[in-house]
Amino acid sequence: MNDPNVLTADVGVVGAGPGGMAAARALAAAGLSVVVLDEGPGAGGQIFRQLPPGATGARLAEPPSHHHGHALLGAFAASSLQYVRAAVVWDARPGRLWFEHDGRSKLLRCQRIVLAPGAYDRCVPFPGWTLPGVVTAGALQVMVRGFGIVPGKRALVVGSGPLLLPTVTALLSAGVQVVAACEASSRWRALRALPGVFGNGARLREAWWYARQLLRAGVRLRFGWTIVGCEGSGRVQRATIAKVDGTGRPRPGTSQTFEVDVVGAGFGLVPSIELGLVLGCRTRFLAERGGHVLAVDDRQRTSVAGVFAAGEVAGIGGAEVAIAEGELAAAAVLHELRGVAVPAQLVGKAQRERKAADAMLRAFAPLPGLHALATPETIVCRCEDVTLQGARDAAALHGGSLRAIKVGCRAGMGPCQARICGPSLQALACAAPGRAMDLPVAQVPVKVVRSETIRSAPMD
Amino acid sequence: MNDASRLPGTTDRSVVTFTFGGEPIRALAGDSLAMALWAAGRTELRASSRDGAPRGVLCNMGICYECLVVVDGVQQRGCMVAVRDGLCVERGGKP
Repeated sequence: MNDPNVLTADVGVVGAGPGGMAAARALAAAGLSVVVLDEGPGAGGQIFRQLPPGATGARLAEPPSHHHGHALLGAFAASSLQYVRAAVVWDARPGRLWFEHDGRSKLLRCQRIVLAPGAYDRCVPFPGWTLPGVVTAGALQVMVRGFGIVPGKRALVVGSGPLLLPTVTALLSAGVQVVAACEASSRWRALRALPGVFGNGARLREAWWYARQLLRAGVRLRFGWTIVGCEGSGRVQRATIAKVDGTGRPRPGTSQTFEVDVVGAGFGLVPSIELGLVLGCRTRFLAERGGHVLAVDDRQRTSVAGVFAAGEVAGIGGAEVAIAEGELAAAAVLHELRGVAVPAQLVGKAQRERKAADAMLRAFAPLPGLHALATPETIVCRCEDVTLQGARDAAALHGGSLRAIKVGCRAGMGPCQARICGPSLQALACAAPGRAMDLPVAQVPVKVVRSETIRSAPMD
Repeated sequence: MNDASRLPGTTDRSVVTFTFGGEPIRALAGDSLAMALWAAGRTELRASSRDGAPRGVLCNMGICYECLVVVDGVQQRGCMVAVRDGLCVERGGKP
């Protein structure tokens, strides 16, 4: 009966980022038993990543929203709930979450599940992107804000969307010279973000703070530029940027080359929907929210009874959206389990934050022409070492669906399970006219775990 | 530990030593293996299975499996394993 590897709680929350923390804190405050499972070394998620103990003397410039994050982290830490760090959730059913923790195979039994697993960087392959020193924008932020490490001496930042700004400011506060910061969207396209910024006081303060940081450091954002290649021996040493057209395709004859030892590339984010897919949750495709997202109703309920979703997994929107949706999901769970009415102001706040985020992020929806950065020899699937040509050949031979490409050349069948090459393969798969964007395939285990974990998984 | 690869104010931590390819690496408690190696100038963590080309950290948050290293005989993501005294780490191979 008392299996130490089986936990029981009213609510299981997946993710200790802003959405998960907000939901868990509210649920615990209402007296429910809550277990929070998170893969990271500490609470906060990627956006409110904390330095390890003994490293907190770092002076990092922080945007205004991070004070909100500190308050939430404090409230979360003071909450009466069970927070399991370094927990890898690999399978789920309604009311059941299987995870690997501390080398053991464990099961959480709960009445309700709140999914807040967040998102990860959207990768766009370009020549040389497999060289050490070329990392995602998120990786650089984790390096500086999560570990206090200076990534290098001279950095190039490329990509698209608001997350380029915290990447640049993290580098600047670590004393790294930012040789260029390239936003692939044109200035005119980026201006479409303004209604979402001006319509929301917090976002306006945030944008103003970043603008001041960049001005002070003399870094200007180059709109309509991106990386076209990099090279080096053992580590990136040179990177070349060029102007791009309105679709993101590079313009010939516009290139500039820089000596660098770090490249940070962030072409937006991809929602982490794998666990939702395994649970059978319905999805929607919304380009401005990062592609396939879990569909939720006005109370953060997914299509599967007892499963709720908050934050990036329901569409990229940032920490403020995640916090509002996490609080709303908690209220909706309380309604189901305790009959407490869902406060109308929580519904309104989540809708307002989401609307502002959508209005802003519409300006940075993925540019299709960026997939032209890869040459036929460029590796697209890094796990299985499949080049763009290899994936194209597979598509020509086996058919243009995501699944056919995978079967044909193993692209997307490595341990990352197409989280990195997925956007490229999807672009390839839907290159044929009239083809819709394929839904990514999620398979159990959704993260790599030891075979022993699966064999010894506590039974339902 | 006073090191140009560390931000001031972040080094008030105990020193941890592990080996990477047989070479001792000095790290700080709270580092991940991948970040300790990065700070030590070791950004090349595994070789590609196709042509042996060097690979290293890409996502730094457990998504991409590019930073795979062999820790005491078990292949693991370098970015998700905390440093510990005496760990024996080798370059990873095919994921």
